[in-house]
Amino acid sequence: MELFIVLGLLATAYAMVSAKRVSTLIGNFRLQALFLCILTLIEATKGNHPGLYSVSILIFAIKVIIIPLILFRISEEIKVNENLGFFIPPLLSLIIALILTYFSWVLAGMVFTGQETMLKIFGTVSFSMMFLGFFIMIFRMKALAQVIGLLAMENGIFLLASASSGGMPFLVEIAVFFDVFIGVIILGLFVYRINQLFTSIDVSKLNRLKG
Amino acid sequence: MLNPLNLGLSLIFDPLSIFFQAVIILIAVPAFIYSFEYLKAHYSSKKIILGQVLFVLFIVSMLAVVSVSNVFMFLIAWELMSLISYFLVTFDSEQEKSIQAGTIYIVMTHIGTAFLIAAFFLMYKYCGSFDFSVIKTMLSSMPGTEKNIIFLLLLIGFGTKAGIVPLHIWLPYAHPQAPSHVSCLMSGVMIKTAIYGIIRFIICMLGVSSLWWGELVIVLAAISCLVGVIYALMEHDLKTLLAYHSVENIGIILLGIGSSMLFIKLGLIPLAILAMCAGLYHLVNHAVFKGLLFLCAGSVYNATGTRDMEKLGGLIKKMPWTSAYFLTGSMAISALPPLNGFVSEWLTLIVLFLGALAVTGGLKLFLCLTAAILALTGGLAAACFVKAFGITFLAKPRSVKAESAKECGTSMNLGMGILAFMTVALGIGAAYFIRIIAAVSANTLGAETLDFTLNNFILNPLGKGTYLSTPLISIVFISVMGITLFSLYLFLGKSKVSAGPTWDCGYYKLTSRNEYTATGFSKPFRLAFSFFLLPYKKLQKIKESHYHIKSFRYETHTTKIFRKYFYENLLGGVFNTAKYMRGIQTGSIHLYLGYILITVIILLIFMGRF
Repeated sequence: MELFIVLGLLATAYAMVSAKRVSTLIGNFRLQALFLCILTLIEATKGNHPGLYSVSILIFAIKVIIIPLILFRISEEIKVNENLGFFIPPLLSLIIALILTYFSWVLAGMVFTGQETMLKIFGTVSFSMMFLGFFIMIFRMKALAQVIGLLAMENGIFLLASASSGGMPFLVEIAVFFDVFIGVIILGLFVYRINQLFTSIDVSKLNRLKG
Repeated sequence: MLNPLNLGLSLIFDPLSIFFQAVIILIAVPAFIYSFEYLKAHYSSKKIILGQVLFVLFIVSMLAVVSVSNVFMFLIAWELMSLISYFLVTFDSEQEKSIQAGTIYIVMTHIGTAFLIAAFFLMYKYCGSFDFSVIKTMLSSMPGTEKNIIFLLLLIGFGTKAGIVPLHIWLPYAHPQAPSHVSCLMSGVMIKTAIYGIIRFIICMLGVSSLWWGELVIVLAAISCLVGVIYALMEHDLKTLLAYHSVENIGIILLGIGSSMLFIKLGLIPLAILAMCAGLYHLVNHAVFKGLLFLCAGSVYNATGTRDMEKLGGLIKKMPWTSAYFLTGSMAISALPPLNGFVSEWLTLIVLFLGALAVTGGLKLFLCLTAAILALTGGLAAACFVKAFGITFLAKPRSVKAESAKECGTSMNLGMGILAFMTVALGIGAAYFIRIIAAVSANTLGAETLDFTLNNFILNPLGKGTYLSTPLISIVFISVMGITLFSLYLFLGKSKVSAGPTWDCGYYKLTSRNEYTATGFSKPFRLAFSFFLLPYKKLQKIKESHYHIKSFRYETHTTKIFRKYFYENLLGGVFNTAKYMRGIQTGSIHLYLGYILITVIILLIFMGRF
């Protein structure tokens, strides 16, 4: 069961890399958050960490419902075209994503030497999620992609934390959620302002600001 | 193992520290008294408060530098001193020149500190402690090569602060730009903390382990003497001139300290004590007379609003007190008896000659040459101050500002007066002060206090028979002079005295435009040292017709060779590299994110490898 969900996380990450439109990207992110929520719930039912119940509820509330809603609202309000803007086309992106996954596998092998395979897979997926989030931030032009890439990376970090140590302390978890939430709101405003100023949220045009 | 960062504020009060604390306070008090009136004339009340707070902090930080007993605390105090003095250099922050001077100063001083940190960490690596006394005992077993490296690092680090050539580049910019009472303290005392560092870390803690250490210090010192005084001769800005003289005098101090290092290695402990005594005595003397001169320069600036000698002149009639003080300082720095500068330079010379007699082989020649350079320096310094005093205070005023100058008030006069008094006192009471300073240097070198009077060290090459007693010579000299002057007065004194216009040469219509200038005065020296100064001229004629020249402009400059051939190339290299590196700054967020990712991946691969 866990394995399937973890692979589902990886699959949504690939889907985000190969997404062509903003709404697809947000939708895939919502799916990823949902998988993460279920995974946390499963961990919680194992009974080791009762705090995980509330964490999974928080994930559901914030990452599955509120953040995607905000993002959808922003993308509707600024009424730019749906195209994400590619430095690297989706197919090539997918191939690079595969290479990055392999790299993550090697890395996980280095970090979790001599431990059970399940942990290694967890590690691989979370490293991949971080790398792919970063990848989206780098190779997509729209400012919204940067926001979502950052969130995807955060998901990866969360997965790694819960896989290797059964989650961070509850207080830290709450703080991180709050952080992410505020981060999204600020970035949302930022995107909005960029759009007003430049009539585009194409971040690659920001280098016009350079003196 | 001891806790290496045991940062209890432990202080040391051995004779060396107390000596330096005394010097700091000796100069700080008159400068502080002076500052009240000086600041009032130039700044608003808020800025005055800021200036005084910084000034007091500056004094405290310098006291901390010479009192702490822990390398770590030393570095903190050292940095604090550098930073506060930076803020004081840029105190006139609305002037472009101040900012520029401050930048040069802070860059150079931090380069110096970087070398110091490197040296201290090498020491720490070997000793495992930051405490002075622990380091001292541990360092005695350190291998020679590492000692050499630490010595060089320390010498560069402290040399930058002291302003030895070729690390002096910041000094003529930073010192003149600060308010005068601060220049007095910077030039008089701050650069001396570097001497403290050299004595404390190199002589006391590291221990002189090779002969070439002393030789290197002496060579650098001799070069500093000459270069400092030659540049000073070319200078027209009163305070810059004084700043260059600081380079020269640091050279003279280091001649004493360097020969002390040499004699320690050679096992001539009494001579080493005398040499260090000469160095330390010149240190306190220089602090006093250079402080005095800077305060006088500030007073001139206060009265006339300019420091350019070519625009001054005739001040002796408007500002008699300042002139008298400046003359006292000039005589002291030119090493004229009976003022203090004479005593210490004479001591240094004696040390070099005695050393030349005591050593064998090439060192004999080396020390004699050094003595010759010191003598030349003294002569050039005298010439320089004939220029400085003559052009600034004598003659007719060369500008309206100089004509309307007024004597400064009580607090400034008092500040200068105290220092002038000390200049005289340190000269006349030399026999007494030398005994104290000899005790300090003997304690520093860990030897028994020398029981000597000045007459123990007369030039006595044969050890017996006739000898030349220096006091005897001077008594004979003075009496011959007196008799000559008296007889001259007898024969010529009855002739009528007539008063005429100043510097008029018997012609009654010369204006101040016809007077001798500072540039003119220094011309012979510019020619004599042209191989070093590389003077060049600029001529500009604007002709109305073939026969009639409407305006004519003549400029003469000297090339600052250290700046041109070393620092400018270095800076050029830095800027070129920076320009090259600018290529990666495209302003694209994606690229920056990419840099981060690539760095992370490379680091991960690196981690996997090792």
